Amino acid sequence: MIDHIQYFISIWPELFKGLVVSLELSVGALLLGLVIGLPMALMRTYGKGIVKAFAVGYIELIRGTPMIVQLFLIYYGLPDLGILLDRVPAAIIALGINSSAYQAEYFRGAILSIDEGQGLAAQALGMTKQQAILNIILPQALRLVIPPWSNEVIYMVKYTSVAFLIAVPELMARGKMIISQTFKPLETLFWVGVIYIIVLSIIAKVVDIIEKKLAIPGFQMSGED
Amino acid sequence: MAKPILRVENIHKKFKGTEVLKGLSLTVYEGEVVVIIGPSGTGKSTLLRCINRLTEPDSGDVYLEEQKIEPGKTNLNYIRQQIGMVFQDFNLFNHLTALQNVAIGPIKVKKMDKQKAYELARKELARVGLADKAANYPAELSGGQKQRVAIARALAMDPKIMLFDEPTSALDPELIGEVLEVMKDLANAGMTMVVVSHEMGFAREAADRIVFLENGVVAEMGSPEKIFNNPEKERTREFISKITRLNSVAKDREVL
Amino acid sequence: MGLNISANKVLASIPYLFEGVGITLEITILALLLGTLLGLVLAIIRVYGSGAFRQFAVIYSRLVRSLPLLVILFMLYFLGSEIIDIPAFWAIILALAIHSAAYQSEIFRGAIQSISKGQMEAALALGMSKYQGIFYVILPQALRRAIPYWANEATIVLKDSSLAYALGVTELMRRGEYVSARTSQPLITYIVVGLIYLLLTYVFTKSMARVESKVKIPGLER
Repeated sequence: MIDHIQYFISIWPELFKGLVVSLELSVGALLLGLVIGLPMALMRTYGKGIVKAFAVGYIELIRGTPMIVQLFLIYYGLPDLGILLDRVPAAIIALGINSSAYQAEYFRGAILSIDEGQGLAAQALGMTKQQAILNIILPQALRLVIPPWSNEVIYMVKYTSVAFLIAVPELMARGKMIISQTFKPLETLFWVGVIYIIVLSIIAKVVDIIEKKLAIPGFQMSGED
Repeated sequence: MAKPILRVENIHKKFKGTEVLKGLSLTVYEGEVVVIIGPSGTGKSTLLRCINRLTEPDSGDVYLEEQKIEPGKTNLNYIRQQIGMVFQDFNLFNHLTALQNVAIGPIKVKKMDKQKAYELARKELARVGLADKAANYPAELSGGQKQRVAIARALAMDPKIMLFDEPTSALDPELIGEVLEVMKDLANAGMTMVVVSHEMGFAREAADRIVFLENGVVAEMGSPEKIFNNPEKERTREFISKITRLNSVAKDREVL
Repeated sequence: MGLNISANKVLASIPYLFEGVGITLEITILALLLGTLLGLVLAIIRVYGSGAFRQFAVIYSRLVRSLPLLVILFMLYFLGSEIIDIPAFWAIILALAIHSAAYQSEIFRGAIQSISKGQMEAALALGMSKYQGIFYVILPQALRRAIPYWANEATIVLKDSSLAYALGVTELMRRGEYVSARTSQPLITYIVVGLIYLLLTYVFTKSMARVESKVKIPGLER
């Protein structure tokens, strides 16, 4: 037992550096995903013709392909077009694009679940459609989107491990590096796993608290309860 | 005197600290129709559920044909086969047709030959006037039809006694009659029945005995004649007149 | 001009890629089979079980859902090198199954709990045992409800099967890398690979929607 803990202490500094990179990737990807995902959701929900078709195509294309394909396309494929990206930005962009499609669907689901009467009431007050979306629909939808969005946060932290495949030095990659030095694969992976579990539990708790803070009494997405 | 089918002795049941049944006793004889009435929250449904052990009583005994039901010793599944139950909200199996709903008990529980079970199911559906709905799924039936299928489902198990837990209270007023009609036929055919209901018309016509439950015990019981016209207790009189008034209001509204 | 020739080289590799599709599908189907079975058992234990069994199902779901698939995958793989030998092909299948089972147990649990309590009570009142109630009354309804969520999870398993790449299993993704290296055309290669995955998920999603409407209970909303 003491041996195991000593081993953990010896590899912790290295794993910690990896954890920091994993979290950086997650935050970057989630933000990028939000910035792309929200407009995509609005385009798919309220857009017409080519705008809507573009959003649908984008979302379904991303959701229909594995993240690793997206990652390799961006890291190995884009240089064919003269676009060279470092590992970390490439990973953030790939993860962010991946996340944007899922986030778009969460936002769309939330928007669609807002009662139609809300928009009509806003327009009856003389608001334009844009004003109604911005002032009435979105503030409600954003609250409803928190539970699925918190799932996406956890997914994203887990999936940053895929960046290890292009040698981004995140938690998983550090673990693999340590294994090649210490030849203790199971022990190392055990501690890597423990770190993921602890970090994700903390994140889940924090999101839970935020969710409760922002809740409007008696207001939740149908089917979520 | 007819032989007792069901004997409930000194049943107690608490929910979250509130005592719903406080030492209730009741005996039901073969061929008898007992209608249980009483204010809401007074333990009528709990009593029925304690009889077939969907709810486990805290204390007290239930005997079916003088055999004591003892959890752990008695085979509850076997006991329940002999006690038919009809629920307020029907609880038909949504994924099965009316015919399959009636046949599934005999097939799965009694291990009856499928052919025979479907034959029996058709007979029971015909008995409740729904032979033509055999192939329909519950979601395609009206509330009244659902409840009639539920009655057929219970009958197909050939029970010794039938429990009805407010069988018409989830129904639109215009659908209540068809269910009560089936229940009256059943009573006339000699089925032993315990019915929790506020349908005073049914109670007056079909009941052999009316039991007025209040605060978890039997407050008064007797023939419909006695309970409706000459109750011993003031509370019984009040309750009867209140319910009768409510029923007539509901009927007026229906006419409108 | 140069692009055209190299593009042709990639296109010439499509039959080779499609052999990889076969392996991708094998991995996916076997992982789904195991994952669904395990997920269903965990869900039933979680809803109807008691004590230690129930606790186990809860903890399993919580832990596994906090572990990246790659961590599980490498654990199994190295478990192979240290204790019992697990070939890479089976390591990815088991990892996907273990991972997916946690999510599927949540899907099935939700579906089971969405069936009204009265259904089980009616089954018991007929004299059915709890097991009969679960298998003849609850599951036939719950499984129907779970179809769209299960189908979504199945496409995730299909997409995640590409992580077998990390162990060198020559499924679609790994073959894509070989083609990319041979033709020096990563962009076109990975676009082709991506389109094949898209085709697979599309066909699967469409067929599951057909299954769903086929087994729909007449008259019942959802």
